[in-house]
Amino acid sequence: MLAEVLIQLVVVVGILLPISLALFVGRERLVRTRSEWRTRLKTAAPTIAVLLVVLLINRFARQRAPRLSREIGFHLTASFYNIEGEFILLFQSIATPETTAYFSSIYVYGYVFLIVFPVLAYFTLPDTRMFRRLLTAYALNYVIGLVLYIFVIAYGPRNVMPHEVAETMLFENKPQVQYLTREVNSNTNVFPSLHTSLSATVATFAAITRSTFPKWFPVAVALAASVAISTMFLGIHWGIDVVAGMLLAALCVVLSDRLVGRWSVSELLGDRLEQFEDRIPWQE
Amino acid sequence: MLAATAGLTVSSSGCLRQVRNIVRTDDIQQLSVTITTVPADADRQAIRIARHLEETLTAVGVDVSLDLRSDIEFRRAVLYDHEFEICIGHHPGGTDPDFLYEALYSRYIDESGWQNPFGFTDRTIDDHLVAQRTAEGDARRKAVTAMLEAIATEQPFVPLCVPEEHRIVRTDRFDGWDEGHLATRHGYLGLEPAAGVDTLRLAHLDGRLTENCNPIATDYRGRGTITDLLYDSLATKNGDGPVEPWLAESWEWDGRAVDVTLRDGCEFHDGTPVTADDVEFTYRFLQDTSLGNHDTPSPAPRYRGQVDAVESVESRTDHRVELEVETSPAVGARALLVPILPAHHWRDRAVDVVGPGGPSVAQGTTEAVATNNIPPIGSGPFQFGERTEGAQLILERFDDHFTRRPGVDLPAPTVDECRIDIHPSGDTAAQVVANGDADATSLPLGAADIDGVETPTGVSMRDASSWTFYCLGFNTRDAPFSNYRFRRLLAQLVDKEWLVDEVFHGHARPIATPVTDDWVPESLEWRGNDPETPFLGSEGEVDVDAAKAAFEAAGFRYDDHGRLRVRQ
Repeated sequence: MLAEVLIQLVVVVGILLPISLALFVGRERLVRTRSEWRTRLKTAAPTIAVLLVVLLINRFARQRAPRLSREIGFHLTASFYNIEGEFILLFQSIATPETTAYFSSIYVYGYVFLIVFPVLAYFTLPDTRMFRRLLTAYALNYVIGLVLYIFVIAYGPRNVMPHEVAETMLFENKPQVQYLTREVNSNTNVFPSLHTSLSATVATFAAITRSTFPKWFPVAVALAASVAISTMFLGIHWGIDVVAGMLLAALCVVLSDRLVGRWSVSELLGDRLEQFEDRIPWQE
Repeated sequence: MLAATAGLTVSSSGCLRQVRNIVRTDDIQQLSVTITTVPADADRQAIRIARHLEETLTAVGVDVSLDLRSDIEFRRAVLYDHEFEICIGHHPGGTDPDFLYEALYSRYIDESGWQNPFGFTDRTIDDHLVAQRTAEGDARRKAVTAMLEAIATEQPFVPLCVPEEHRIVRTDRFDGWDEGHLATRHGYLGLEPAAGVDTLRLAHLDGRLTENCNPIATDYRGRGTITDLLYDSLATKNGDGPVEPWLAESWEWDGRAVDVTLRDGCEFHDGTPVTADDVEFTYRFLQDTSLGNHDTPSPAPRYRGQVDAVESVESRTDHRVELEVETSPAVGARALLVPILPAHHWRDRAVDVVGPGGPSVAQGTTEAVATNNIPPIGSGPFQFGERTEGAQLILERFDDHFTRRPGVDLPAPTVDECRIDIHPSGDTAAQVVANGDADATSLPLGAADIDGVETPTGVSMRDASSWTFYCLGFNTRDAPFSNYRFRRLLAQLVDKEWLVDEVFHGHARPIATPVTDDWVPESLEWRGNDPETPFLGSEGEVDVDAAKAAFEAAGFRYDDHGRLRVRQ
């Protein structure tokens, strides 16, 4: 079952990526990347390494975290439910088979596409700063999210009002997706919504780089908004989780600006490589 | 940060309340109650019952909050630590009404496990509980009726309904599904595999099994079906059938003493022989897992009612053991259903454990209760193979099991391997059976999934008798739940009939008493409404005025804003 779901995901995203690269990035940048990718990779290597380490820690920690969480976490399901009550059921008013299909696909495929595409897009820029900022922001999202997951034990709306969200609930309509979600998460990890925070991070970067990728900006914003809504529409997250996700995204984007290029290792290495690049005659 | 602030607010408000209470002793607050239950992922019905009650209670002026805990944490909070006010959960119940002795006997209030988690103490009920244990024949039936009626009057917990048990099985891979109840070991033994089939593949939902195989860890056990495949007991019971010899070849009652003869040459999975000493050890150990190391015994959190009936146990020879029970033979025979533990593995587990992360028992937490017991070493028809936490447990046939001997007419393991895969939900489990990737769902289908399930050729839905029940439990240690009038009123705020129709989609039957049909007295038969605590309203909607009048008649007060005020 897991393999089936994964293959579908890879196929869908695999089709979307090349189309988007052609549409939003353009031939010229891709051609140039072909000749510069080695040096760009070298410049960004420390950041890539940091992200990979974070993802690895995240992978293991999410298996172990529930137990640690059991010991030191705070149970906040009741608080969230008391504060916002049935707010997310508002989205049920736009529920039709079509919107349900749309948001389900957005939650699974749209989201993965949304966070993978910018990695490729920013890599096509000669200046790797934006690329490194994006990866740094991703890493921060995961680290801060993981810490919050340990401290906050909360179940999402689908676990509190299963009947009310049944019609649109992702797992009711696509039960097989649960094989994928259980690999990456536990059902008490709802605060904050990492779907929202990572999507909002991407949308913010799209806004910053809108002069470079003008066509990507509106697409990213629309997709990110859809992802945020989908988490509530599908009964997975509370409104509070989504708000927290947006705040987390803002924090990560700001921090990425402060952090990237701050440490001399990468900066020095980057500078030298740039100087080195300048001397290479076959470059532009 | 948010959490810390919340914690601070909670603790300071508690403190303030105390100060206010000292200053103004007559200050009575709005009643606020917490309903503890499990999330929909663990039990879709429980949370819906909780929200139905939340809605009703809010309507009658009670401040309600929901406390959702994972399966393990729910059990720790309710069964071990008794940190709850109202809990809604699935009780394992029993085919013999004697399980109520375990559930309500006052001497168990400070123990951990299914023994009196409600902290209920009532002298009259105690007398009834004891009386039915010793009475025999018709006298017992009368004693049981008296006990059930007294319990219904007191409502220490509110029995809600008995859910139906439906499972999906593949009849093209195995025959004989109707022989054994799939909630017991019998369901998985004696199956006739089709040609070339040597693995029984079960689609399971509860991942706890892959984390812990300890037969006495109540926090990890559902009904203990799989651990019953790993461990033998002296006797066995196929669903609601009679208690029959299993590891014991035979037994003979002489008054209240039973002389048990073990089968010759049985071995544990590690090759050591099963002796009468292991049997003697098991009963002593379950009665006190500290084996006398503590001032007071530290009983196991499972099988309490059963082993408590055993007054003395003595091994006579290598394969003869004599038990004396303080109950009638009919009730005492249930003591023969506990798993026989190898003394050489469990004796060392009488030591205390300290540190966070595990369960805690008031009488002292021993390693026996806290261990995950992996690999489990029993003498049962299947032995532990391997496991992947959260995903899979593989059992292998124990070739030397006595059921495989010629001349033993008991269901034996017929496959080399029993593979238990954990699936994320009931509908996915049913789906893999329909697809042909599994042979049976080992747990009953959820009420919401039953109607939509596919049964292509070679797949069939099997119905089994059921005796587990959903209940609303009170922590009667604290006011106002210690007040029977209050408990009865709350029982009247639950529309069991509506719950069965709406929440269980009709796949359950409402009950006024939590015993199997043949024990239900006429006075407590369901007649479209609860005969003892009829719902104050209709169609799931509470009649607020009637309910408020009932609260006032019971001695409670309402303030000007319609809030129920109760001294807590």
